[in-house]
Amino acid sequence: MNRPLTRDEQPGHTNEPPIVIGIDAGGTMTDTILVNRDGHFTIGKAATTPHDESEGFVASSEDAADAWGITLADLFGGLDVVLYSGTGMLNTLLSRTGRRLGLITTRGLEDMVLMGRGLQAWADYSYADRLHAVTHAHPDPLVPRRRTHGVTERIDQFGDVVIPLYEDDVRRAARALIADKVDSICIMTIFSHVNPVHEQRIAALCEEEIAAAGAQIRVYMSHAIRPVVREQSRLNSVLIEAYATARGREQLQAIEAASQKYGFRYGVQTLLSFGGLASIHHPRLHETMISGPIGGILGAAYIGKLIGNDSLVCSDMGGTSFDMGVITRGQTRIENEPLMDRFKLNVPTLHLDTIGAGAGMIIKVDPLTRKVSLGPESAGSDPGPICFDRGGTEPTIADCDAILGRLNPHYFLGGKVVLDVEKAKRIFKEKCADPLGVDVYEAAEGMIEMLETDANNALLRVISGQGIHPSQYTLLSYGGSGPLHLAGCSRGIGFRDILTFQFAAGFSAFGCTTADYMRRHSVSTQIDITSAATAIELEDHARQVARIMDDLEAAAVAEMEAEGHAREKIRTHPFLMMRFTGQLEDVEVASPVGHPKGADDMRAIIAEFERVYASINQRVTRYGAAGSSIMEIGVTAVADKIKPVLLQRPLNPPDPSSAHKGKRNAYMYGRWHDADLYEMDMLQPGHRIQGPAIVEHPATTLVIFPGDEVFVDEWTLLHYRHG
Amino acid sequence: MTSYSKEVIADLIEGNLPWHDTRRIMSAYKDDDRFDKAIAALQDRVEWDAPIILPVSSHLFIADTAKGRHTLCECGHDFGHWTKNWKLSAAVLIRDSDELLAEIYPTADLPDPRWMELREFICPTCGHLHEVEACAPGYPVVHDFQPDLEGFYEDWLGRALPPEPGVAA
Repeated sequence: MNRPLTRDEQPGHTNEPPIVIGIDAGGTMTDTILVNRDGHFTIGKAATTPHDESEGFVASSEDAADAWGITLADLFGGLDVVLYSGTGMLNTLLSRTGRRLGLITTRGLEDMVLMGRGLQAWADYSYADRLHAVTHAHPDPLVPRRRTHGVTERIDQFGDVVIPLYEDDVRRAARALIADKVDSICIMTIFSHVNPVHEQRIAALCEEEIAAAGAQIRVYMSHAIRPVVREQSRLNSVLIEAYATARGREQLQAIEAASQKYGFRYGVQTLLSFGGLASIHHPRLHETMISGPIGGILGAAYIGKLIGNDSLVCSDMGGTSFDMGVITRGQTRIENEPLMDRFKLNVPTLHLDTIGAGAGMIIKVDPLTRKVSLGPESAGSDPGPICFDRGGTEPTIADCDAILGRLNPHYFLGGKVVLDVEKAKRIFKEKCADPLGVDVYEAAEGMIEMLETDANNALLRVISGQGIHPSQYTLLSYGGSGPLHLAGCSRGIGFRDILTFQFAAGFSAFGCTTADYMRRHSVSTQIDITSAATAIELEDHARQVARIMDDLEAAAVAEMEAEGHAREKIRTHPFLMMRFTGQLEDVEVASPVGHPKGADDMRAIIAEFERVYASINQRVTRYGAAGSSIMEIGVTAVADKIKPVLLQRPLNPPDPSSAHKGKRNAYMYGRWHDADLYEMDMLQPGHRIQGPAIVEHPATTLVIFPGDEVFVDEWTLLHYRHG
Repeated sequence: MTSYSKEVIADLIEGNLPWHDTRRIMSAYKDDDRFDKAIAALQDRVEWDAPIILPVSSHLFIADTAKGRHTLCECGHDFGHWTKNWKLSAAVLIRDSDELLAEIYPTADLPDPRWMELREFICPTCGHLHEVEACAPGYPVVHDFQPDLEGFYEDWLGRALPPEPGVAA
């Protein structure tokens, strides 16, 4: 068998056709998930095709449609939602093949593009290289210094004009940029998020000059992209939007054209980095660039609701990286300044911690000190690990997994790749085991332990950073290599429960399909409320907050309506980013009273802030005496979408022999075991599997160590229990 | 173990490798044979045949000449025995006035020449600027460093230092 069970073979299927398709195009593979009205789903896979993503999109959809047993035309004709998240924009950025930009900024800030707050010189580096200053180098700027023009103007932090805009400067700059044949002009002036009049005037003057020259140039204003404090990341956001999204939009339009060719009747959706869906005509497309790993967190939050535990740690292990997200009592952290290709951006993003740890990590032994190190390089899929036999010459963790019998050499990707275990063993022995003077199997298990220890430590660090005990958290493990290294990653931490999935390899795509249509509009504020504020002062604050919320709500709703959502289907949720006055970090507070109408409503908002603060920072005392500050006000607008539902089925007797498919020698805890082999898709609710055992799926492998046990619950989720 | 071709090492020394490759080499463990390949690449570059024992800066080498182990410029100019400060045999330009300093910093604020002077050490044959010192006036010429050749060869390269020509062992 070289693919997942067809729909008819799968237990509990219904005759409803799929209505949602979710596609997650990663660096290597494009994963597809189909979902029908009953929540039944199936998964497809194909290689990503970076030159024209629509090819990989169609191939992956076809793989999934085959698994469901329908044609592409039947599939697309019946779909309500096509949800695509791809890498086109990121590739444009990485390969520096975007638009030719010019920049007009406040005089004195011209070098900001080059300086990048210093930290862009080492952002994304390993710890060793951060300390190793000779490796520091700034990323190539998206706009060269000579096409950056400063204009005299100044608005202060209160929004007052301190120096008027020198319009002659602007005209000179605009003419120079037009003569330089730029595709787009970006405008970023300081404090434009408080008062945008100068940016607007600069844009108007540029438009006049562009019209006079008869040129075709787009103008982008930073406050229109994201009116939020911190000019370096605001600048990067407007530059990346102007630089990279045009080609990405073309890729998305090609996806839309391809799906409409097969009979799809609506517009394609894509995923925003803060976890909502937006049409591919979204005006701020750079907000979709970090969406890949977000799907997993959305999926985890969804599973958490299902199993009744809202404190979760999600962990996604693929070939290169180990991504961890934390959901604490239903709250997901929002990261406001994420990194993208070493540029600080100003885009709210679901917070993820990432370390370099994955099955593709290359193992190195220092010739001088005999110190072993993993990565940070990954063999990727081309040439891949040695055992793929496609030209890889450096030993990887996947080779160790193959050497130890944990990976089935004839069932990798359902048998599409036959693993050359002997070759992997020979080269691993020569390059790693022999220099260390250790037995080859002992060395291989040691390498895997190093990887798992790194991941284990990272999980502990992430949890302790939340100030909460692991016994309150459930670990969700997914990604192609997640279940393979699950036991080692989670051993000894003391999680409340450990879960993995039959569809672990497609979990991120699954998570994407659980998202709703969403917009998030926000603006920076500086509203300080003292602890002794009078009713009159609170009323003033309420008026100010409500006015901002009204404006944001109108903008968010207008964008959703423009995408065809009916007003009565759109729900809006105002939120505030608050801190105790003088602190450096905000927490996101959902307004419990909608738009505040008076002093009591403001008191309710402050009370809610203190409650949220205490739930996130359990051990930290609240500090109401300092007063509270509202740093940002926002509104999310949401419209529901149909989501997959997991099927709940009665528990069977615990004997898993119906899924048993043989035995294989596997090396665990320093010796060989005769491990039982099971087919993951054949497991039924109620089954219990005792280690040593290996549960195989075409796209993933779960290793159960001696003494440990896996239990399949009524949702067919797999619970791993350490002995 | 990691090993690069001599061409790659030569490009690395010349600064001709793309940054991405340079950084990968810098971040990785050092290749076992880097020293020998680097010496071979440098030996190809210089115009003389005396074997290089150790490069001491980008265009200055300790090499075994017929006269003994001497510091040589890339052009072949002999700065004398390697244990002696080569700067003492170099041509020197001392910038100790506002006019001379302004040649270097035409648009910036200048250091006060009563407190600091620049000394440029130049090869008398080819005119290459080998080293610059920023010192208080009157400070002795700095002897940058004297390498521990025996220690380097024996402890790091794992072989004996070749005997100095013309010196009895």
